[in-house]
Amino acid sequence: MVVGDISTGTDVLVIGAGPAGYVAAIRAGQLDLDVTLVEKEAYGGTCLNHGCIPSKALITATNVAHEAGHAEEMGIHADPAVDMAGMVGWKDDVVTQLTSGVEKLCKANGVNLLEGTAHFADEHTVRVSHGGEGQGSESIEFEHAIVATGSRPIEIPNFSYEDDPVLSSREALALESIPESLVVVGAGYIGMELAGVFAKLGTEVTVIEMLEDILPGYEADLKRPVKKRAKELGVDFHFGQTASEWHEHGDGIRVVTEPAEAEAEAEADGGGLELDAEKVLVAVGRAPVSDTLDLEAAGVETDDRGFLETDDRGRTNVEHIFAVGDVAGEPMLAHAGSYEGQVAAEVIAGEPSAIDYQAMPAAVFTEPEIGTVGLTEAEAEEQGFEPVVGKFPFMASGRALTTGHADGFVKIVAEEEAGFVLGAQIVGPEASELIAELGLAIELGATLEDVAATVHAHPTLAESVMEAAENALGHAIHTLNR
Amino acid sequence: MVREFKLPDVGEGVAEGELVSWLVEEGDEVTEDQPIAEVETDKALVEVPSPVNGTVRELHWEEGDVVPVGDLFITYDVEGEAPDEAAAADAEPTGDEAAETEGSPGATGADAEEVATPEGRVFAPPRVRRLAREEGVDLAQLEGSGPGGRITEGDVRAAAEGQEAAAGAEPATGEADAATDVEPEAEPADAVAEAEGTTAGTAVPAGVEPADRDRTLAAPATRRLAQEEGVDIDEVPTDEERDGEAFVTPEAVQEYAEAQRRAQEADVATVATGETGPRERREPFKGVRRTIAEAMERSKYTAPHVTHHDEVDVTKLVETREQLKPLAEEQGIRLTYMPFIMKAVVASLKEFPEMNAMIDDENEEIVYRNYYNLGVAAATDAGLMVPVVEDADRKGMLQLSSETDELVTKARERTISPDELRGSTFTITNIGGIGGEYATPVLNYPEAGILAVGEIKRKPRVVTDEDGTESIEPRSVMTLSLSFDHRLIDGAEGASFTNKVMEYLEHPELLLLE
Repeated sequence: MVVGDISTGTDVLVIGAGPAGYVAAIRAGQLDLDVTLVEKEAYGGTCLNHGCIPSKALITATNVAHEAGHAEEMGIHADPAVDMAGMVGWKDDVVTQLTSGVEKLCKANGVNLLEGTAHFADEHTVRVSHGGEGQGSESIEFEHAIVATGSRPIEIPNFSYEDDPVLSSREALALESIPESLVVVGAGYIGMELAGVFAKLGTEVTVIEMLEDILPGYEADLKRPVKKRAKELGVDFHFGQTASEWHEHGDGIRVVTEPAEAEAEAEADGGGLELDAEKVLVAVGRAPVSDTLDLEAAGVETDDRGFLETDDRGRTNVEHIFAVGDVAGEPMLAHAGSYEGQVAAEVIAGEPSAIDYQAMPAAVFTEPEIGTVGLTEAEAEEQGFEPVVGKFPFMASGRALTTGHADGFVKIVAEEEAGFVLGAQIVGPEASELIAELGLAIELGATLEDVAATVHAHPTLAESVMEAAENALGHAIHTLNR
Repeated sequence: MVREFKLPDVGEGVAEGELVSWLVEEGDEVTEDQPIAEVETDKALVEVPSPVNGTVRELHWEEGDVVPVGDLFITYDVEGEAPDEAAAADAEPTGDEAAETEGSPGATGADAEEVATPEGRVFAPPRVRRLAREEGVDLAQLEGSGPGGRITEGDVRAAAEGQEAAAGAEPATGEADAATDVEPEAEPADAVAEAEGTTAGTAVPAGVEPADRDRTLAAPATRRLAQEEGVDIDEVPTDEERDGEAFVTPEAVQEYAEAQRRAQEADVATVATGETGPRERREPFKGVRRTIAEAMERSKYTAPHVTHHDEVDVTKLVETREQLKPLAEEQGIRLTYMPFIMKAVVASLKEFPEMNAMIDDENEEIVYRNYYNLGVAAATDAGLMVPVVEDADRKGMLQLSSETDELVTKARERTISPDELRGSTFTITNIGGIGGEYATPVLNYPEAGILAVGEIKRKPRVVTDEDGTESIEPRSVMTLSLSFDHRLIDGAEGASFTNKVMEYLEHPELLLLE
């Protein structure tokens, strides 16, 4: 111990106040444990400050503007002007409201809040450094620790986020003016969501992707309406390309690409591109924040990508140290982190809790939205089920037509014998909300018949879920049964 | 070859029976129709005969078990044929099947649909999965009884109870392999040791001795947890130390508290066996007693009872019986008062058909019966039984007498069949044999009436002779207590029916016309 350090003790030390960490801390507080939550930057973590919430705020705001300006079909003629600074200010207000709410909730549940950066000193002690030099540090002894340090955007060679024209998602969501042109590197969900935002704001958007399609991991029929809509919004796609460098060019920059490896072998002349833009957004994935923790001092091991491996209780290889959220690996989703945080807190409190979900939902806020949960048809087959599939297109939904967004469909995958729902994929309006019903169905072991026989209000988009279940059972009313 | 024998329906429509005793052992030679077990169903003790000649291979239940009809009961090697290994392998329940027949966690009913679920996937809602963790039940080992095989909370609880039983009891068959299959993974062997430890009467299971320290280090939350769990932190065993002092973690508190809980539960179980507790004795509430209780409860809670009491001068009846008794004895029949009472009741029932009726609650109809089956309640060592004399209106006095006597004897000897205990339309109960005057008999539901007759006693009565002169004379008097279903029968009707019975008993010669 450094002379002069303050040393305190706590039952549970939580490192990181993102959706995994603050939920773990609050739950532990509810369970009467003495909890200390250390956060180096801002309560709410990436999700509230730089990810989910700001991006959804901007997506909603740009949708309002875009739809108002493109509603001639409904007899509305408007030319909305977007004040980017005003829009970002509103977004910041939303973020502030939520982050201050998190702080209040933590305090109300008896969580001791501590600002600083935590490093393990040994397996029962962390040192917390407060801010910059001279601000001091303190040691905290803990019975249990929960590591919830999250993740950060991955940098690619030659594209440093330190450089002004190079944006990570975090900077992109904080821009105070609308760029005239933008190259987006990566067509995953972050790249596609932000490509949509800027395209609707009038930015000329070009997406380059190393693979051959957008949204890796999602089924082709889900991607199709998203890609089609992006193209309608003016997004230009280049697949099989990787960004190799950028340099100043005229008033802006020029991004140079190279064909992805397989492509390069096929085309001897290279086939790279030079794309001019005002900014470049790099959205190629996220890496765990585990390198700042001095984990080795506590004996905690990581895998070769830096993720902390955990068991179904959230324990790392050191039994009293837990890891939750992005730093504990896939699925890197805020709601997964919150769930894991609750489990870890309950396990520490001696509750019979475990990471034990049948299906983890995912939502992509592209246009149209995508919502998925559980198994796809192919995954169900791989697992040995004989799946039955029911589908309902939003074109047949009265409510979808009245919103002006009728692209997409609801698809339900169930096992054949008893009809248990195994998974669902939705692309279309409010897919992110609609998917929740099917997540519940999976967890409860509901069958197609249960879903089909549940009366759904009319006219709602949710009726489409019921219709898809009926379709799988062969008695859909508003579509032809397959 | 191996022959499986499932428990047959030993009575009309009986769903299960309690195995009272095995009359054979494994390895015994048996012949066809030889009684192999005594099974108590409904109100009767029934002997189960062997269906074949052969050797008893395996007894699948223990005495005291309640065995569902249709479940595998006993396995034979059939005499005269060499054991067929392949057939034996097919027939012999091994692994999960054996577990099922022995009440394993998976045995949730013979009809439970098997769901072939790949990758160990279980269909159970989150709260059920949590319960399974709490109870240490492996969901992958269960067959769900919910729709399509979904695992329910009840399935998990049943499995947990099964595990406790398995941990506390020797495997019934002594087959180590089968027992191992039953053993749930999550229940460690030390659970058995703990259960054994508690049976010996120790307050805390073996291996979890109280530490009894003077000073213990622990976090405040740990102390709070100990307080909540009712555990003295100085008694919680621990290997951990801080600064040379014993240090207790929340896990240690939980573990110790859990061990104490298990010990207490085991104590309760031990007390329930009647082996401890000098001032009380406990026995399972089951069998005939339970059946009677259920019938009584149903009757009292369904039919509003009214009891009408009266006395009848049966001096003439006593004289008549005295005259007829030697004649009956010549035919080997012991003539009691019961056939006279039965005759009087049948004659009265004919005049008051509601008293021979019942309410069909389900269909909301009153069912009038044009037949007269009289139940005659008899006290037996096993409890109250009601043998039924069918078509009492078509039988003569002597036949009623001999038939009633025979049925009551069978009931007392527990050889009566379930069929002989069913189908009565009105019941007579004789309370006079033991003593007392009046009673409030409980309807043999769904019958509308039950008549309790008391002992015939000599009592002073005011007698008016032909000249109208009154005198007090010693007379033979019998009490009557008629309970009836007030939903169907009003008080006046109940009284009128009793009057009619009294009229016949007072003037037994009227029975000649019946």
